[in-house]
Amino acid sequence: MSDNRALRRSHVLANHILQSTPLASNLSLTREVCLQYSPPELNENYGFDVKEMRKLLDGHNVVDRDWIYGLMMQSNLFNRKERGGKIFVSPDYNQTMEQQREITMKRIWYLLENGVFKGWLTETGPEAELRKLALLEVCGIYDHSVSIKVGVHFFLWGNAVKFFGTKRHHEKWLKNTEDYVVKGCFAMTELGHGSNVRGIETLTTYDPTTEEFVITTPCESAQKYWIGGAANHATHTIVFSQLHINGTNQGVHAFIAQIRDQDGNICPNIRIADCGHKIGLNGVDNGRIWFDNLRIPRENLLNAVADVSSDGKYVSSIKDPDQRFGAFMAPLTSGRVTIASSAIYSAKVGLAIAIRYSLSRRAFSVTANGPEVLLLDYPSHQRRLLPLLAKTYAMSFAANELKMIYVKRTPETNKAIHVVSSGFKAVLTWHNMHTLQECREAVGGQGVKTENLVGQLKGEFDVQTTFEGDNNVLMQQVSKALFAEYVSCKKRNKPFKGLGLEHLNSPRPVLPTQLTSSTLRCSQFQTNVFCLRERDLLERFTSEVAQLQGRGESREFSFLLSHQLAEDLGKAFTEKAILQTILDAEAKLPAGSVKDVLGLVRSMYALISLEEDPSLLRYGYLSQDNVGDVRREVSKLCGELRPHALALVTSFGIPDSFLSPIAFNWVEANAWSSV
Amino acid sequence: MASQSQVLVEEKSSVGILTLNRPKQLNALCFNMISRLLQLFLAYEEDPSVKLVILKGQGRAFCAGGDVPPVVNNMVQGKWRLGADFFRDQYTLNYVMATYSKPQVSILNGIVMGAGAGASIHGRFRIATENTVFAMPETALGLFPDVGASYFLSRLPGFFGEYVGLTGARLDGAEMLACGLATHFVPSSRLTALEADLCKVGTSDPSFVSTILDAYTQHPHLKQNSLYHRQYIACFININLQLLDVIDRCFSKRTMEEIISALERDATQELDDWILTTIRALKKSSPSSLKISLRSIREGRLQGVGHCLIREYRMVCHVMKGDISKDFVEGCRAILIDKDRNPKWEPRRLEDVKDSMVDQYFERVEGEEGWEDIKFPPRNNLPASSIAANL
Repeated sequence: MSDNRALRRSHVLANHILQSTPLASNLSLTREVCLQYSPPELNENYGFDVKEMRKLLDGHNVVDRDWIYGLMMQSNLFNRKERGGKIFVSPDYNQTMEQQREITMKRIWYLLENGVFKGWLTETGPEAELRKLALLEVCGIYDHSVSIKVGVHFFLWGNAVKFFGTKRHHEKWLKNTEDYVVKGCFAMTELGHGSNVRGIETLTTYDPTTEEFVITTPCESAQKYWIGGAANHATHTIVFSQLHINGTNQGVHAFIAQIRDQDGNICPNIRIADCGHKIGLNGVDNGRIWFDNLRIPRENLLNAVADVSSDGKYVSSIKDPDQRFGAFMAPLTSGRVTIASSAIYSAKVGLAIAIRYSLSRRAFSVTANGPEVLLLDYPSHQRRLLPLLAKTYAMSFAANELKMIYVKRTPETNKAIHVVSSGFKAVLTWHNMHTLQECREAVGGQGVKTENLVGQLKGEFDVQTTFEGDNNVLMQQVSKALFAEYVSCKKRNKPFKGLGLEHLNSPRPVLPTQLTSSTLRCSQFQTNVFCLRERDLLERFTSEVAQLQGRGESREFSFLLSHQLAEDLGKAFTEKAILQTILDAEAKLPAGSVKDVLGLVRSMYALISLEEDPSLLRYGYLSQDNVGDVRREVSKLCGELRPHALALVTSFGIPDSFLSPIAFNWVEANAWSSV
Repeated sequence: MASQSQVLVEEKSSVGILTLNRPKQLNALCFNMISRLLQLFLAYEEDPSVKLVILKGQGRAFCAGGDVPPVVNNMVQGKWRLGADFFRDQYTLNYVMATYSKPQVSILNGIVMGAGAGASIHGRFRIATENTVFAMPETALGLFPDVGASYFLSRLPGFFGEYVGLTGARLDGAEMLACGLATHFVPSSRLTALEADLCKVGTSDPSFVSTILDAYTQHPHLKQNSLYHRQYIACFININLQLLDVIDRCFSKRTMEEIISALERDATQELDDWILTTIRALKKSSPSSLKISLRSIREGRLQGVGHCLIREYRMVCHVMKGDISKDFVEGCRAILIDKDRNPKWEPRRLEDVKDSMVDQYFERVEGEEGWEDIKFPPRNNLPASSIAANL
């Protein structure tokens, strides 16, 4: 309605300015010989039920997602704007850092008032957790800053209180956190230590005379850094610190400290500085914190794992400091789960925009005076975008599976969650960055306008590759965990169980020497190649490490020296786990068009992964002829996925308003009348 | 032919003037009228001499709704598929209007309800007058706001669309203009002159039509008790921000139960007449209708008009088939036939309408020989706003 009115008004204004009738009719004459925007929907058909596909991809809480999409669209806080006859909501990235921070906070207040965060900390169980994850994902589709600011408050501060704390902390903080009576942040990273949390230098001692802990920043490298929320808004923080009791370092512990009063003034013995302007996420107020012998009550130690008695005795149910540290870190998995799924939603936004544009934008004629060719009808353009689309599909199922095992976690599944979430977080966030760069290039110059999103998202999401664990470090952890599992099973002569390694109990798969099209698309063949690669790399990695150890190197140093195999193995493991999730999703479907198209997508995912991995040739899993066949099949699959391209991005379920003007009538959006 | 006299046709220079002519039934749209309108609209689109279509009503109504009694009769006799044909044609008409390549000017000088809204709001220009009364009363009938209402209501500012669609609240012409349902307000005394001017337009360029309409537009006087009064804001629209705030705060809630309890919370605080009337309206409506209407508007907000109508067609078929709830028959009995105004809804309470029941309304109709989703005629002028990303 309002867009119609705005349009009408702009026409009236235009007429008013132009005044003369003949000019206007000339305009309509020229309009006819000009390029016309033709919506992709007019020429493309849906070969399957996009609503069904959307349910599969979103996986859960579709109605809740639609509700919060609507909440954002109907509010003026979300920068509604009309372009080309459509309403869009996306942040104004041309605002100053300070403006972006304030509007982000206001958006969060609005979502709070509308009950979006209800039960986020006080309700438990898989259903409540999935709802929360779905709503957070939609926040991130609107703006990464909103989801990060909300994520820091609930998933870092809130979950730390919930998981590291005990009843006294829960009663005091959880409800108040849910209602934003307190605004939390999470001070773990320091200038000198990021992924290596055990090395942090912040120091806490205990004073039994006052029953207080004393927190100190002993040197500049110990200043807390990148603390989201600290620069402007947070009132409280979790502080990670070494705990020294009677001269003994008991390792890293977590405390609660107030950093601002209710009026927003910084508390005594706290110094805060701003991290400054960033390449993205400027809606998040990252700050740096120094503690100058800050005194906090003894009760503020989050004591689920260890405690200090009033007279200053250290007590912990876990004696081994390594295990104790592990127990501290385990609940932080949620961060990697949400990052992995939000990376995929960002890739979906990029692809939906780039593919819709490529279905309405033409360039060059193949014949003299012939019509210009639609971008996505170029095989090269298909090759650039459609494999990324297939990967995004596969990883979408992977992210869903990760969420499911996370919300149903038990102490027994902690290790598997740690390994899988590490691999998925790294691979999915890298995939997003790669996808956004390709999408930005695929839409040409339009991609550099921030309102078209694809270019801007690169800066907004880049940080995902290093926060909550540097991707390279996480991938090494995957390889190390696989190594440990392998060595332990071999040593105890037990069959492999868990982490998807069961295939190691069967004989090594043998691949056919000739690869026909139907072999290449067969799920059994694809599984066999992925298993063979994982198995062989795992064997090579363990034997190389063993060799180095045999030469007297330490285990840790041997890992470092074997970094090339470690990298290949981590990738092989993760790609195989992803393939398994899309195969499982496909297997659950009844015969029909959705299953058929998902089969094509899965084959594309499997084959493009093979095409891009040099280890298949390096270690001879496939012959030179074989990789040629794979490459040809990828090209063929591009042609077969081309007719489904629009339906596949429509199935992402992202409302038009959350995409950008170039995804729709970009001619009208750029018309003189809309200047 | 009866159907032709039920729609009067005048062709003046470059303008087709269509008048709904069943004044005794307040111009309720029957099957024949819908077929005739569809035929005329499609023909005018092809006819280069027609630049503009005017649609109006004879008597004190523009159109008070669809001609429901025959549909209900068919349903009672187990022939719901005949009713489905009625809705299919009606939604096709709505779709053609929403994607029309020439301006449609609807003159809403009287009652506009249900089907009447569907036959006008999708068009480019909607003229309200001091006689206009607008409502979408379907939830009180055991139906839901259809005819593409999930598209146009969901696009009203804030959560006003949920309010109008769920409560069946009546709006006057000034309020229609304020919320965007109407594009212009013209005093009824000037309609004849306006029509004469429109007949001289000679082009389909909406900006020219707009210029003519603007010359007749007045800033309507909002009644003291209107939702929209007191505060003076842009576009010369007076809005009672306080009440609109209550609407946004309450009708933005995720579920029907939460909407009602939010209203009840506000009622105990402010004891406002308006809130009590609103709660009463919601409590009198079919619980099933409320839930599917809310879901429909929420989905519609994210969909193009075509997909909205496809979904509504699935929903209306389930309503008529009566396999999930029979509230539509009951509502028509209580409101239109027996007029005891005391429908016995089943399920009776909101809590008893489970999500799984709501879900079913949005599925295809299975196990029904020959049933298929509604298919629309191909359009060569799909406006950007009618293109959807989701279904």
